[in-house]
Amino acid sequence: MDVDMIFKIAAIGIIVAILNQLLVRSGREEQALLTTIAGLIVALMMIITQISDLFATIKNTFGL
Amino acid sequence: MDILSICGVAIVSAVFVITLKRHNAELSILISIGAAVIILLSVIDYVLNSLESVSTILAQANVNTEYVIILLKVMGICFLTEFTCDFVKEAGLDSLCGNIALAGKILVLVTSLPMFMEILSVVTKLSGGEMIE
Repeated sequence: MDVDMIFKIAAIGIIVAILNQLLVRSGREEQALLTTIAGLIVALMMIITQISDLFATIKNTFGL
Repeated sequence: MDILSICGVAIVSAVFVITLKRHNAELSILISIGAAVIILLSVIDYVLNSLESVSTILAQANVNTEYVIILLKVMGICFLTEFTCDFVKEAGLDSLCGNIALAGKILVLVTSLPMFMEILSVVTKLSGGEMIE
């Protein structure tokens, strides 16, 4: 059971939120948006392997 | 994998989701999807084991395995549809959720149609009508 992934994504989320606030306060809105998108993509790449794992397991189990 | 650790994972991820929801809503949805995937992956082995026992029982009861395969496929389709629909609904896209549910229903209908045709042919045979091919 790979619970570490939840903590990793939560850490990414907190860091991205803080960076976002800092960049917005210092008036760099474009970079704040880019930081948010980068964090989203990193977390999405982590999740997508797990989702594909789950779907492959369901496919094998139910013979779809 | 026992129920205590599943509940623990659920509570911890719920806390994370609530913490992140205000500042970073996209990532909070990803956390909830990740938690659900982890929980389901940890219990799906038991499903596999119990399905094997069920198919052994059905084989001993001389039930046609063709029907069991169709039943399992329908179960899998329902499982996937429900899982995806819940998350799409949580993301706030109710219309997409309705579409996925409709697609799941259509696929279930298409998958179980051969079984229905067989029942229909048995009924017509019993009532003395002509066979449907």
